[in-house]
Amino acid sequence: MNIEATQLEKAILLKVSGRMDAENAGEFDKACELWISQGCKHLIADLADLQYVSSMGLRSFLAAAQRLKSVSGSLILCGLKGLPRQVFEMTKLDSLFPIYETAQQALAAL
Amino acid sequence: MDSPFERLTLPARLESVRAFHQFVRIGAEAVGLDLADMHKLDLVLEEILVNIARYAYEDGAGEVEVAYSTEAGSLLVEITDQGRSFNPLDAAPPDLALGLADRPIGGLGVLLVKQIVGSLTYRRRDGRNKLSFRFPGPGPIST
Repeated sequence: MNIEATQLEKAILLKVSGRMDAENAGEFDKACELWISQGCKHLIADLADLQYVSSMGLRSFLAAAQRLKSVSGSLILCGLKGLPRQVFEMTKLDSLFPIYETAQQALAAL
Repeated sequence: MDSPFERLTLPARLESVRAFHQFVRIGAEAVGLDLADMHKLDLVLEEILVNIARYAYEDGAGEVEVAYSTEAGSLLVEITDQGRSFNPLDAAPPDLALGLADRPIGGLGVLLVKQIVGSLTYRRRDGRNKLSFRFPGPGPIST
């Protein structure tokens, strides 16, 4: 898994690519924690190049979203497709996150 | 007659999951699974193996065996551990109707396994848990 962070005017864009599994999901937790501790309220996770996510990855998305909600912020997802989209749908997590096709659309909604 | 199963035993730890993925990938390629199905198979294996790594052994030290057979054109996978008795089919399903603030962050792994494979079978015998499933299976198990 690779996480590339870009600081935008209204949010931090986290481009997550590769495979997010039990062994490396903690890296996403750390990346989110870093930006939230610096006062970031809105994170956009671009998952267009994420090929695989397991329930340990879902825990990380859910934990970050709950943390951001507690500070009146949000975790916004975009680019969901393939297995990651199916996994979000099977667990009904797709109804709990704002989801957009592209990062540009996500930014425009903020 | 030789056993139709290929077998790999490793410590029941998170760090073993990727090695099991690579091991079963050989069988998955032999039965012609496409990449999307291989990812689903990886997911099922990971969810079951993570549960075993986290909960099966009280002192955290134990082993898990993954075996697969490619007979009959699909994969038959068996996962065996010697930890405490645990039937994931008995696990209470998470409440998917809860909102973001109330949604527990755990409990989704078993749900995913049930959604992806059918015919998941659990047996407890001689102090061992054995989970077996065929992949691709007949479809989601109703919960």
